[in-house]
Amino acid sequence: MARAFVLYAHPVPDSLNAAAHRVVVETLEGRGWEVDDCDLYAEKFDPVLSRKEREDYHDTAINTAPVQPYVDRLREAEAFILCHPVWNFGYPAILKGFFDRVMLPGVAFDLQEGKLSACLDNIRKIAAVTTYGATPMRAFLAGDPPKRLFKRAVWGTIRPEKMRYIAQYDMNNITPDGCVAFLNRVRKEMEAF
Amino acid sequence: MRALVVYCHPREGSFSAAVRDTVIDRLEASGAQVRLHDLYGQGFQPVLTGDEWSGYLACPANQVPVADQVADVAWCDTLIFIYPTWWYGLPAMLKGWLDRVLLPGVAFIMPKAAGETIRPGLHHISRLGVFTTCGASRWLTFLVGAPGKRTLMRGVGLLLAPRTRKVFAAHYLMDSAKAPALKAHLAKVARQIDKLTGNRPAAAPREAQPQ
Repeated sequence: MARAFVLYAHPVPDSLNAAAHRVVVETLEGRGWEVDDCDLYAEKFDPVLSRKEREDYHDTAINTAPVQPYVDRLREAEAFILCHPVWNFGYPAILKGFFDRVMLPGVAFDLQEGKLSACLDNIRKIAAVTTYGATPMRAFLAGDPPKRLFKRAVWGTIRPEKMRYIAQYDMNNITPDGCVAFLNRVRKEMEAF
Repeated sequence: MRALVVYCHPREGSFSAAVRDTVIDRLEASGAQVRLHDLYGQGFQPVLTGDEWSGYLACPANQVPVADQVADVAWCDTLIFIYPTWWYGLPAMLKGWLDRVLLPGVAFIMPKAAGETIRPGLHHISRLGVFTTCGASRWLTFLVGAPGKRTLMRGVGLLLAPRTRKVFAAHYLMDSAKAPALKAHLAKVARQIDKLTGNRPAAAPREAQPQ
Protein backbone atom coordinates (compact mmCIF):
# COMPACT_ATOMS: atom_id res chain seq x y z
CA MET A 1 0.00 0.00 0.00
CA ALA A 2 1.35 3.43 -0.93
CA ARG A 3 2.20 5.56 2.05
CA ALA A 4 1.32 9.23 2.40
CA PHE A 5 3.19 11.40 4.92
CA VAL A 6 0.88 14.17 6.14
CA LEU A 7 2.65 16.96 7.96
CA TYR A 8 0.15 18.97 9.97
CA ALA A 9 0.86 22.15 11.91
CA HIS A 10 -2.07 23.83 13.63
CA PRO A 11 -2.41 24.10 17.41
CA VAL A 12 -6.22 24.18 17.70
CA PRO A 13 -8.57 21.27 16.85
CA ASP A 14 -11.64 23.43 16.09
CA SER A 15 -9.89 25.52 13.41
CA LEU A 16 -10.75 25.27 9.72
CA ASN A 17 -7.23 24.06 9.09
CA ALA A 18 -7.79 21.20 11.53
CA ALA A 19 -11.01 20.31 9.70
CA ALA A 20 -9.14 20.37 6.38
CA HIS A 21 -6.50 18.12 7.90
CA ARG A 22 -9.14 15.60 8.95
CA VAL A 23 -10.59 15.66 5.42
CA VAL A 24 -7.13 15.05 3.96
CA VAL A 25 -6.46 12.05 6.19
CA GLU A 26 -9.93 10.51 5.82
CA THR A 27 -10.07 10.99 2.07
CA LEU A 28 -6.61 9.56 1.46
CA GLU A 29 -7.37 6.55 3.66
CA GLY A 30 -10.65 6.08 1.80
CA ARG A 31 -8.69 6.00 -1.45
CA GLY A 32 -6.40 3.25 -0.20
CA TRP A 33 -3.42 5.26 1.02
CA GLU A 34 -1.68 4.25 4.20
CA VAL A 35 -1.47 7.59 5.98
CA ASP A 36 1.35 8.49 8.33
CA ASP A 37 -0.27 11.44 10.08
CA CYS A 38 2.39 13.63 11.66
CA ASP A 39 0.77 16.24 13.91
CA LEU A 40 3.71 18.46 14.85
CA TYR A 41 1.92 20.14 17.76
CA ALA A 42 0.63 16.83 19.17
CA GLU A 43 4.09 15.28 18.81
CA LYS A 44 5.60 18.36 20.50
CA PHE A 45 8.12 18.76 17.70
CA ASP A 46 10.96 21.08 18.70
CA PRO A 47 11.56 23.40 15.71
CA VAL A 48 14.73 25.06 16.96
CA LEU A 49 17.88 24.00 15.13
CA SER A 50 20.51 23.84 17.88
CA ARG A 51 24.06 25.03 17.83
CA LYS A 52 25.30 21.41 17.60
CA GLU A 53 22.96 20.69 14.70
CA ARG A 54 24.21 23.81 12.92
CA GLU A 55 27.80 22.68 13.34
CA ASP A 56 27.02 19.17 12.03
CA TYR A 57 24.62 20.39 9.33
CA HIS A 58 26.73 19.42 6.32
CA ASP A 59 28.15 16.20 7.77
CA THR A 60 25.77 13.68 6.24
CA ALA A 61 27.21 10.86 8.36
CA ILE A 62 25.80 12.33 11.58
CA ASN A 63 23.45 15.21 10.78
CA THR A 64 20.26 13.10 10.91
CA ALA A 65 20.90 11.65 14.39
CA PRO A 66 18.73 14.10 16.40
CA VAL A 67 15.74 13.64 14.06
CA GLN A 68 16.21 10.12 12.67
CA PRO A 69 12.58 8.95 13.17
CA TYR A 70 11.30 11.89 11.11
CA VAL A 71 13.86 11.25 8.39
CA ASP A 72 12.74 7.60 8.22
CA ARG A 73 9.09 8.62 7.92
CA LEU A 74 9.91 10.97 5.04
CA ARG A 75 11.90 8.30 3.23
CA GLU A 76 9.06 5.80 3.45
CA ALA A 77 6.52 8.11 1.83
CA GLU A 78 5.29 8.17 -1.76
CA ALA A 79 3.20 11.27 -1.13
CA PHE A 80 4.02 14.30 1.02
CA ILE A 81 1.16 16.59 2.08
CA LEU A 82 1.56 19.78 4.11
CA CYS A 83 -1.46 21.01 6.03
CA HIS A 84 -0.90 24.34 7.75
CA PRO A 85 -2.05 27.92 8.25
CA VAL A 86 -0.03 30.84 6.87
CA TRP A 87 1.00 33.27 9.59
CA ASN A 88 2.75 36.52 8.78
CA PHE A 89 3.36 35.39 5.21
CA GLY A 90 5.22 32.28 6.22
CA TYR A 91 4.95 28.83 7.72
CA PRO A 92 4.20 28.52 11.43
CA ALA A 93 7.54 28.23 13.23
CA ILE A 94 6.87 24.60 14.15
CA LEU A 95 6.61 23.71 10.45
CA LYS A 96 9.52 25.90 9.35
CA GLY A 97 11.60 24.09 11.95
CA PHE A 98 10.76 20.76 10.30
CA PHE A 99 12.45 22.06 7.15
CA ASP A 100 15.38 23.46 9.14
CA ARG A 101 16.00 20.30 11.17
CA VAL A 102 14.73 17.34 9.09
CA MET A 103 14.98 18.34 5.42
CA LEU A 104 18.77 18.11 5.69
CA PRO A 105 21.62 17.78 3.23
CA GLY A 106 21.73 14.07 2.38
CA VAL A 107 18.02 13.72 3.20
CA ALA A 108 16.22 16.25 1.02
CA PHE A 109 19.03 17.60 -1.13
CA ASP A 110 22.73 17.67 -1.79
CA LEU A 111 24.30 21.09 -1.81
CA GLN A 112 27.68 21.45 -3.47
CA GLU A 113 29.02 24.95 -4.12
CA GLY A 114 25.48 26.25 -4.08
CA LYS A 115 24.34 23.66 -6.64
CA LEU A 116 21.38 21.53 -5.58
CA SER A 117 20.42 17.99 -6.42
CA ALA A 118 17.31 16.16 -5.28
CA CYS A 119 17.34 13.23 -2.83
CA LEU A 120 13.78 12.25 -1.96
CA ASP A 121 13.20 10.04 -5.02
CA ASN A 122 10.61 8.00 -3.12
CA ILE A 123 8.08 10.88 -3.13
CA ARG A 124 5.97 11.05 -6.29
CA LYS A 125 3.24 13.48 -5.26
CA ILE A 126 3.13 16.59 -3.12
CA ALA A 127 0.35 18.88 -1.96
CA ALA A 128 -0.15 21.82 0.36
CA VAL A 129 -3.49 22.50 2.04
CA THR A 130 -3.32 25.91 3.59
CA THR A 131 -5.33 28.78 5.07
CA TYR A 132 -4.38 32.47 4.89
CA GLY A 133 -5.63 35.40 6.95
CA ALA A 134 -4.54 37.64 4.08
CA THR A 135 -6.65 38.38 1.04
CA PRO A 136 -5.26 37.11 -2.29
CA MET A 137 -4.27 40.71 -3.15
CA ARG A 138 -2.35 41.18 0.08
CA ALA A 139 -0.62 37.83 -0.32
CA PHE A 140 0.27 38.79 -3.90
CA LEU A 141 1.68 42.15 -2.76
CA ALA A 142 3.89 40.36 -0.26
CA GLY A 143 5.02 37.97 -3.00
CA ASP A 144 3.28 35.03 -1.31
CA PRO A 145 6.43 33.56 0.27
CA PRO A 146 4.90 30.27 1.50
CA LYS A 147 3.56 29.53 -1.99
CA ARG A 148 6.96 30.19 -3.51
CA LEU A 149 8.66 28.02 -0.93
CA PHE A 150 6.32 25.17 -1.76
CA LYS A 151 5.93 25.49 -5.53
CA ARG A 152 9.57 26.25 -6.19
CA ALA A 153 11.83 25.06 -3.37
CA VAL A 154 9.90 21.96 -2.25
CA TRP A 155 9.01 21.10 -5.83
CA GLY A 156 12.61 21.62 -6.88
CA THR A 157 14.04 19.36 -4.20
CA ILE A 158 11.54 16.55 -4.77
CA ARG A 159 10.68 16.87 -8.50
CA PRO A 160 7.33 15.08 -8.06
CA GLU A 161 5.06 13.89 -10.84
CA LYS A 162 2.17 15.78 -9.30
CA MET A 163 1.85 18.95 -7.23
CA ARG A 164 -1.24 20.66 -5.84
CA TYR A 165 -1.46 23.95 -3.91
CA ILE A 166 -4.88 24.23 -2.27
CA ALA A 167 -5.27 27.55 -0.49
CA GLN A 168 -8.09 29.37 1.26
CA TYR A 169 -7.41 33.12 1.52
CA ASP A 170 -9.07 35.85 3.61
CA MET A 171 -9.97 33.63 6.57
CA ASN A 172 -11.12 36.66 8.61
CA ASN A 173 -14.09 37.17 6.32
CA ILE A 174 -14.97 33.57 5.51
CA THR A 175 -18.62 32.50 5.75
CA PRO A 176 -19.85 29.08 6.91
CA ASP A 177 -20.64 28.30 3.26
CA GLY A 178 -17.12 29.31 2.35
CA CYS A 179 -15.74 26.84 4.90
CA VAL A 180 -17.86 24.03 3.47
CA ALA A 181 -16.79 24.92 -0.06
CA PHE A 182 -13.12 24.85 0.95
CA LEU A 183 -13.46 21.47 2.65
CA ASN A 184 -15.25 20.12 -0.43
CA ARG A 185 -12.45 21.39 -2.61
CA VAL A 186 -9.89 19.67 -0.37
CA ARG A 187 -11.91 16.43 -0.53
CA LYS A 188 -12.13 16.53 -4.33
CA GLU A 189 -8.44 17.26 -4.69
CA MET A 190 -7.50 14.40 -2.36
CA GLU A 191 -9.86 11.99 -4.13
CA ALA A 192 -8.08 12.76 -7.39
CA PHE A 193 -4.61 12.86 -5.83
CA MET B 1 16.52 57.13 16.69
CA ARG B 2 15.55 53.97 18.55
CA ALA B 3 16.62 50.73 16.91
CA LEU B 4 15.38 47.26 17.84
CA VAL B 5 17.82 44.63 16.58
CA VAL B 6 16.36 41.12 16.37
CA TYR B 7 19.26 38.72 16.03
CA CYS B 8 18.94 34.99 15.40
CA HIS B 9 21.87 32.61 15.14
CA PRO B 10 22.61 29.52 17.22
CA ARG B 11 26.38 29.93 17.33
CA GLU B 12 28.38 32.77 18.85
CA GLY B 13 31.36 33.45 16.59
CA SER B 14 29.32 32.95 13.42
CA PHE B 15 29.49 35.45 10.58
CA SER B 16 25.98 36.58 11.54
CA ALA B 17 27.45 37.62 14.92
CA ALA B 18 29.99 39.76 13.06
CA VAL B 19 27.17 41.34 11.07
CA ARG B 20 25.32 42.01 14.33
CA ASP B 21 28.39 43.73 15.84
CA THR B 22 28.87 45.86 12.72
CA VAL B 23 25.21 46.87 12.72
CA ILE B 24 25.23 47.84 16.40
CA ASP B 25 28.52 49.76 16.04
CA ARG B 26 27.23 51.79 13.12
CA LEU B 27 23.88 52.45 14.78
CA GLU B 28 25.55 53.66 17.96
CA ALA B 29 28.02 55.75 15.95
CA SER B 30 25.05 57.58 14.47
CA GLY B 31 23.75 58.32 17.97
CA ALA B 32 20.93 55.79 17.88
CA GLN B 33 19.71 54.02 20.99
CA VAL B 34 19.88 50.27 20.43
CA ARG B 35 18.03 47.38 22.04
CA LEU B 36 19.16 43.88 21.10
CA HIS B 37 17.05 40.74 21.22
CA ASP B 38 19.29 37.70 20.79
CA LEU B 39 16.64 35.03 20.31
CA TYR B 40 18.87 31.98 20.82
CA GLY B 41 20.62 33.72 23.71
CA GLN B 42 17.27 34.43 25.36
CA GLY B 43 16.03 30.91 24.73
CA PHE B 44 13.01 32.43 22.99
CA GLN B 45 10.18 29.92 22.60
CA PRO B 46 9.00 30.21 18.96
CA VAL B 47 5.94 27.96 18.96
CA LEU B 48 2.61 29.80 19.06
CA THR B 49 0.56 27.68 21.46
CA GLY B 50 -3.06 26.56 21.21
CA ASP B 51 -4.01 28.97 24.00
CA GLU B 52 -2.26 31.84 22.22
CA TRP B 53 -4.05 31.02 18.99
CA SER B 54 -7.44 30.86 20.72
CA GLY B 55 -6.77 34.21 22.43
CA TYR B 56 -5.10 35.72 19.36
CA LEU B 57 -7.63 38.50 18.84
CA ALA B 58 -8.08 39.43 22.51
CA CYS B 59 -6.07 42.68 22.79
CA PRO B 60 -4.22 43.43 25.00
CA ALA B 61 -4.34 40.05 26.84
CA ASN B 62 -2.75 38.44 23.78
CA GLN B 63 0.45 40.41 24.46
CA VAL B 64 1.02 39.08 27.97
CA PRO B 65 3.16 36.02 27.08
CA VAL B 66 5.60 38.22 25.08
CA ALA B 67 5.22 41.54 26.91
CA ASP B 68 8.95 42.35 26.90
CA GLN B 69 9.21 41.86 23.15
CA VAL B 70 6.04 43.84 22.50
CA ALA B 71 7.28 46.74 24.64
CA ASP B 72 10.41 47.04 22.51
CA VAL B 73 8.46 46.83 19.26
CA ALA B 74 6.31 49.72 20.52
CA TRP B 75 9.44 51.62 21.64
CA CYS B 76 11.44 51.46 18.41
CA ASP B 77 11.27 53.52 15.24
CA THR B 78 13.78 51.29 13.44
CA LEU B 79 13.57 47.53 13.06
CA ILE B 80 16.57 45.38 12.10
CA PHE B 81 16.65 41.63 11.47
CA ILE B 82 19.90 39.65 11.34
CA TYR B 83 19.70 35.91 10.63
CA PRO B 84 20.94 33.07 8.44
CA THR B 85 18.62 32.02 5.62
CA TRP B 86 17.67 28.36 5.99
CA TRP B 87 15.49 26.70 3.41
CA TYR B 88 15.16 30.06 1.62
CA GLY B 89 13.43 31.46 4.68
CA LEU B 90 13.74 32.55 8.26
CA PRO B 91 14.99 30.13 10.91
CA ALA B 92 12.02 28.70 12.85
CA MET B 93 13.22 30.70 15.87
CA LEU B 94 12.84 34.01 14.02
CA LYS B 95 9.64 32.98 12.24
CA GLY B 96 8.21 32.17 15.67
CA TRP B 97 9.13 35.68 16.84
CA LEU B 98 6.94 37.07 14.05
CA ASP B 99 4.16 34.59 14.89
CA ARG B 100 4.10 35.35 18.60
CA VAL B 101 5.10 39.04 18.82
CA LEU B 102 3.61 40.71 15.75
CA LEU B 103 0.10 40.33 17.13
CA PRO B 104 -3.22 42.02 16.44
CA GLY B 105 -3.15 45.27 18.41
CA VAL B 106 0.65 45.33 18.16
CA ALA B 107 1.50 45.01 14.50
CA PHE B 108 -1.82 45.08 12.71
CA ILE B 109 -5.47 45.84 13.23
CA MET B 110 -7.88 43.05 12.44
CA PRO B 111 -10.98 43.64 10.29
CA LYS B 112 -13.86 45.05 12.36
CA ALA B 113 -16.62 44.61 9.80
CA ALA B 114 -17.34 42.15 7.03
CA GLY B 115 -15.35 42.81 3.88
CA GLU B 116 -12.59 44.76 5.66
CA THR B 117 -9.01 43.66 5.40
CA ILE B 118 -6.10 43.61 7.84
CA ARG B 119 -4.66 47.08 8.42
CA PRO B 120 -1.06 47.95 9.30
CA GLY B 121 -0.28 48.76 12.93
CA LEU B 122 3.42 49.63 12.92
CA HIS B 123 3.25 53.14 11.47
CA HIS B 124 5.63 54.39 14.18
CA ILE B 125 8.43 52.40 12.51
CA SER B 126 9.94 54.13 9.50
CA ARG B 127 13.18 52.22 8.92
CA LEU B 128 13.69 48.52 8.18
CA GLY B 129 16.99 46.71 7.79
CA VAL B 130 17.31 43.05 6.82
CA PHE B 131 20.70 41.31 6.86
CA THR B 132 21.12 37.66 6.03
CA THR B 133 23.48 34.96 4.82
CA CYS B 134 22.54 32.23 2.33
CA GLY B 135 24.10 28.85 1.60
CA ALA B 136 22.50 28.99 -1.84
CA SER B 137 23.78 31.13 -4.70
CA ARG B 138 22.24 34.49 -5.60
CA TRP B 139 20.84 32.92 -8.78
CA LEU B 140 19.17 29.98 -7.02
CA THR B 141 17.76 32.29 -4.34
CA PHE B 142 16.35 34.48 -7.11
CA LEU B 143 14.82 31.45 -8.86
CA VAL B 144 13.07 30.35 -5.70
CA GLY B 145 11.89 33.93 -5.23
CA ALA B 146 13.67 34.66 -1.93
CA PRO B 147 10.72 33.79 0.35
CA GLY B 148 12.56 34.85 3.52
CA LYS B 149 13.43 38.27 2.15
CA ARG B 150 9.84 38.75 1.03
CA THR B 151 8.39 37.68 4.37
CA LEU B 152 10.32 40.52 6.03
CA MET B 153 10.81 43.22 3.37
CA ARG B 154 7.24 42.97 2.08
CA GLY B 155 5.21 41.03 4.66
CA VAL B 156 6.51 43.00 7.65
CA GLY B 157 7.20 46.01 5.40
CA LEU B 158 3.46 46.27 4.66
CA LEU B 159 2.85 46.92 8.37
CA LEU B 160 5.28 49.83 8.70
CA ALA B 161 4.92 53.54 7.95
CA PRO B 162 4.28 54.50 4.32
CA ARG B 163 7.58 55.30 2.56
CA THR B 164 9.58 53.39 5.16
CA ARG B 165 13.28 53.46 4.35
CA LYS B 166 14.38 49.87 3.70
CA VAL B 167 17.81 48.34 3.28
CA PHE B 168 18.79 44.74 2.57
CA ALA B 169 22.09 42.92 2.29
CA ALA B 170 22.72 39.21 1.80
CA HIS B 171 25.92 37.24 1.47
CA TYR B 172 25.43 34.19 -0.77
CA LEU B 173 27.32 30.88 -1.04
CA MET B 174 28.29 31.14 2.61
CA ASP B 175 29.75 27.65 2.82
CA SER B 176 32.56 28.52 0.42
CA ALA B 177 32.96 32.19 1.36
CA LYS B 178 36.50 33.56 1.66
CA ALA B 179 37.75 36.10 4.18
CA PRO B 180 38.12 39.09 1.80
CA ALA B 181 34.55 38.65 0.54
CA LEU B 182 33.25 38.46 4.09
CA LYS B 183 35.16 41.58 5.05
CA ALA B 184 33.78 43.40 2.02
CA HIS B 185 30.31 42.29 3.03
CA LEU B 186 30.68 43.77 6.52
CA ALA B 187 31.69 47.07 4.88
CA LYS B 188 28.54 46.85 2.77
CA VAL B 189 26.44 46.21 5.88
CA ALA B 190 27.97 49.31 7.47
CA ARG B 191 27.11 51.40 4.39
CA GLN B 192 23.55 50.10 4.42
CA ILE B 193 23.15 51.09 8.06
CA ASP B 194 24.49 54.56 7.23
CA LYS B 195 21.91 54.79 4.48
CA LEU B 196 19.26 53.85 6.99
CA THR B 197 20.33 56.30 9.69
CA GLY B 198 20.75 59.17 7.15
CA ASN B 199 19.04 62.42 8.03
CA ARG B 200 15.49 61.39 8.58
CA PRO B 201 13.79 63.09 11.53
CA ALA B 202 12.86 60.67 14.29
CA ALA B 203 9.18 59.94 14.90
CA ALA B 204 7.60 60.86 18.23
CA PRO B 205 7.54 58.03 20.81
CA ARG B 206 4.51 55.88 20.43
CA GLU B 207 1.49 56.34 22.66
CA ALA B 208 0.34 53.43 24.80
CA GLN B 209 -1.77 50.84 22.96
CA PRO B 210 -5.45 51.78 22.74
CA GLN B 211 -7.30 49.23 24.82
